[in-house]
Amino acid sequence: MNASLLFLIPLLPLACGAANALFGLRLPRAVAVSLAVFGAAGSALLTFVLWPLAAGEGTTVTLYTWLESGALQVPVELLFDRLSAPMALMVTSVSTLIHLYAVGYMKDEEDYARFFALLNLFVFAMLTIVLSNNLLLLFLGWEGVGFCSYALIGYWYKETKNADAGRKAFLVTRVGDVFLGVALLWLFSLFGTLSISAVNAEASQLPAATVTAIALLLLGGACGKSAQLPLMTWLPDAMAGPTPVSALIHAATMVTAGVYLLCRLFPLVSLSETALAAIAVVGAATALYAATCALAQREIKRVLAYSTMSQVGYMFLAVGAGSVSAAMFHLLTHAFFKALLFMAAGCVIHLAGGENDIHAMGGLKKRSPLLFWLFLAGALCLAGAPLSGGFFSKDGILLAAFAHQTPLFNVLWGIGVFTAFLTALYTFRLLYLVFAGAPRKDLHGHPLPPSMIWPLLPLALLGLGGGLLNLPGLIGGSSLLHHFLGPLAGKAPEVSHGVEWGLWGLATALFAAGVLVARARYRHFKPGREGAIKRFFLGGWQADCIVAALILRPFAAVADFFWKGTDDALINGVLDGLAGVFQGAGERLRTLTTGRLSNYLMAMAWGTVIFLGWFLLRTLIP
Amino acid sequence: MIVPMAHILAFSAALFIMGLSCVLARRNLIMILIGVEIMLNAVGLTLVGASALWHSVDGQIFVIFLMAMTSAEVAISLAMVVYLSRRRGTITANDFDGMKG
Repeated sequence: MNASLLFLIPLLPLACGAANALFGLRLPRAVAVSLAVFGAAGSALLTFVLWPLAAGEGTTVTLYTWLESGALQVPVELLFDRLSAPMALMVTSVSTLIHLYAVGYMKDEEDYARFFALLNLFVFAMLTIVLSNNLLLLFLGWEGVGFCSYALIGYWYKETKNADAGRKAFLVTRVGDVFLGVALLWLFSLFGTLSISAVNAEASQLPAATVTAIALLLLGGACGKSAQLPLMTWLPDAMAGPTPVSALIHAATMVTAGVYLLCRLFPLVSLSETALAAIAVVGAATALYAATCALAQREIKRVLAYSTMSQVGYMFLAVGAGSVSAAMFHLLTHAFFKALLFMAAGCVIHLAGGENDIHAMGGLKKRSPLLFWLFLAGALCLAGAPLSGGFFSKDGILLAAFAHQTPLFNVLWGIGVFTAFLTALYTFRLLYLVFAGAPRKDLHGHPLPPSMIWPLLPLALLGLGGGLLNLPGLIGGSSLLHHFLGPLAGKAPEVSHGVEWGLWGLATALFAAGVLVARARYRHFKPGREGAIKRFFLGGWQADCIVAALILRPFAAVADFFWKGTDDALINGVLDGLAGVFQGAGERLRTLTTGRLSNYLMAMAWGTVIFLGWFLLRTLIP
Repeated sequence: MIVPMAHILAFSAALFIMGLSCVLARRNLIMILIGVEIMLNAVGLTLVGASALWHSVDGQIFVIFLMAMTSAEVAISLAMVVYLSRRRGTITANDFDGMKG
């Protein structure tokens, strides 16, 4: 098998995206759309065919040297190994299904070429992150997905709100990117190379403090991209984009790039206990924060956005607990069921005729039973129903956190468990509000095109059966993913079977409790006035206000000071003052030039007298 | 030297001050020009006197130059006075203040 074929995996979407960007609107619509789907599907197929290359140490393949300047060597080099291969397969296959869905979703849009070109470009950039064996190339992909995310959130840019959301996402993630950029520069100055394999291999020679600092910088970068505290405010607003974009970028792939980065550099990150603890704390705090926010949201996609944030928080917790396999496992199952939920949410909004307030919905089960069952599959996974994919993956994370018998991780585990209960609660709140009972408002929906329903089916199966990827040994599984990852998997939690059963029992009980509470409260829901706490959660703990008060307003004040205080008052003031002085002096001197001959002659005579007097004086007083 | 140098200097100083007074006191352009001529002649007289004193011909050569220059100056300035008088109907110096700042 020719290893160079690996380059086709990212280049195929790039080529199709470029073709769509250049000629998309000239091509017949069917051709342009098929091209986009082909870009994603072809690369999924290739990943599948080339899968054997990931065995052992994986395959490294170099296309050419991108940058060469002194010690800086940046080859365009791909690393297809046990970590990147499953991720690449997930990205390509999920994006194929989402492309198919988008064909139906964007049926009535005029500007489809831009949409599909950007979507393909996004797949290319994401695959660059996943496959790159060089941190600078990874950074290129990192910025690429950021740009595509920006452009796609603001796809309907004619509404200012959407364009603003795109800008916000771009700027907030850029804050994280600064940290990542600093980390890259630091790594280069330490090792003289940016190759991921080399950095991971040589990381153990670094002093502990340096490793901690670099790992924390990497965490900062990951926080921005993955919408973790405190850089999370952009994700809920990013829901302004079209639903396929939310499903692909803001649920399945881009937001997990931060987790992937930490997993990719885990040999480096894991050298610092402090950094791992920080990652775990950020993850657990975000999980809890986002789950409480999701409880109060009214827009269906914002519920899912907060739940994505919360689930990515779980993945961070897993990385912090030292278990890459648990993080990757949850990353994969989450990609399946969250993409499913988002696309189902798109269908729901379509059925509800563009309405996205869940308080106004209800009774949609009768309208489309198939959609209900698909949504239920996703909801069961998200809520962690026993034997669904989400159950095993989330439990793996809680187990990894529980296995650390330190006070910090005991607290984080407690937060994780409580969040699991909240997750079940808000998931089923959403389900009951949307599907149960009678319609609360007369909604005139559109019928669903088949291409919007059928891509959900494989995702539902993948989500529900996702547990098979990494079935724990407890019930006869073989921890497939954990063993596949091999040396990259991090440490496996060591707990007795009794404890493991106990944790499962607890998880099941929490799931049941969440569902029952949701059922009691929301089965026959009447919209009423919302209390202060609910409004607090609805506004995401007023995070936007806090950011505005802590950063934006002081920044504006400082900028104002430099503009009005320094530039206007000081610099302009001094210059204007000087000019004024000279102008005034000129005005006064002007009166001397009377234009009269006699005055001038008189002045000349007096001048002569003064000169002569001066010489006289010199002669008389030697 | 028959005439003492001190007399020459005193005479030319008197002549110069008379010319200067004429230039400063009169408002008529022609009278001002006459004053200038008198001042120039005072200077010329000093030059000739100094030439005789030091037995050097330089001073007399300079006076020749001075005369040539004076004749040119008179020709031009009188022409300008005539022009101004035709154009503005006056030759009073204070009526011309076009150079006022």
